[in-house]
Amino acid sequence: MVTKLATEQGLALCRSCGTLTDQPGERCVVCGARTRSLDDSGLQAVWAFWIAGVLAYIPGNVLPIMVTQSVSGTTESTIMGGVISLIHHGSYAIAAVIFIASIAVPVSKFLVIAWLALSIQRRWPTSEHTRHRAHHAIEIIGRWSMIDVFVVAALAALIQIGGLLTIAPGIGINAFALSVVLTMFSAMSLDPRLIWSNPAPIKAPSDE
Amino acid sequence: MSERSRQVAELNARYLACPSCDALFERPALEPGQRARCPRCHEVIATNKHRGTERTTALMMASLIVYLVAVMFPFMSMERSGLSNRISVIDAVSVLWSNGMMLLAVVSGLLILVIPATRISLILALNASLARNEFARSKQAFLLRMAQHLEPWAMADIFMIGVIVSLVKIGSLARIEVGPAFWAMSSLIVFMAMATSAACKDSAWQRIRPW
Repeated sequence: MVTKLATEQGLALCRSCGTLTDQPGERCVVCGARTRSLDDSGLQAVWAFWIAGVLAYIPGNVLPIMVTQSVSGTTESTIMGGVISLIHHGSYAIAAVIFIASIAVPVSKFLVIAWLALSIQRRWPTSEHTRHRAHHAIEIIGRWSMIDVFVVAALAALIQIGGLLTIAPGIGINAFALSVVLTMFSAMSLDPRLIWSNPAPIKAPSDE
Repeated sequence: MSERSRQVAELNARYLACPSCDALFERPALEPGQRARCPRCHEVIATNKHRGTERTTALMMASLIVYLVAVMFPFMSMERSGLSNRISVIDAVSVLWSNGMMLLAVVSGLLILVIPATRISLILALNASLARNEFARSKQAFLLRMAQHLEPWAMADIFMIGVIVSLVKIGSLARIEVGPAFWAMSSLIVFMAMATSAACKDSAWQRIRPW
């Protein structure tokens, strides 16, 4: 199938309202957003947010996200520590939710964004459909990593009973929230049209 | 209509491009209820849903009512050894502030409370303006553009999952009771999800365009 691309015709689609323009770079006449030709959509912003997000993820996991004060003393827990203690208490389903939202999703998001960006830069011959679906998936799933931040906020607000039992947020939760936000920005900065703009070399029909 | 708008209108009357893969097509004419997919990347590129404006208006009005209940009424309470503590949704944000995490408190307040409320207001204002056939295209375009931008940042739904996780975590430590705001917040996320699926951005933009 031979498809014409808007970029090849000197056209660009407004990413905000879906109006086509023949003067890429102008402000969209309908919604006022800046239109951008595909040639200007680089991966600079993707990598910048990606690096910042990875850097913030480290203290988010190493530093405590929750401080529990009870009659038996003060305990600080990290994200992984929280998962392990949930497993010890037999709450396997909740342990799985926290593990998936706070560890599996952020880590796989970093890997998928890096893979997508590299595949675009290096013109890897991976199927465009696969990459397109992967991009879709991280855009939808990414925001759910904020669960752990809200768990800590809800626990800290609710569990306040004097010297008996008090939960406070730990410093690591700041870095973790920052990492989630930065990674969302990184995924949003990746223009999906780039995945389709460097098609893999078409295999010549062989005469078998 | 300006000369420039006329040129863009002519271009758009004939052509449409896929937002995901940049393929260029002749613009399809859609009957209500139909949608078009890109033959190259299979992304939905045009929709024409039934009564998108009316249905989102109804759902957003419902959202506004339950939002007010969610903010004003008690959210949860806990009791242990005769000591009890009752909190509102706002306390879940202000506890971060009082623990010295001002920035995180502000960000959480935006994600849980301010952005959902802003989105509800923007969409209601837009639909009111469209329903009155107001000639205020740049205002309408601004409202819709902002509502679209804020969509991934309205995190009331994620907050509620976080609350449910925390309830399970402390279920053994204390007796927990949920208040009216808990059910209001739960309804809010259902109404807002229904509004998102009922909304038809394409038709809304089509009504805003000056052609």
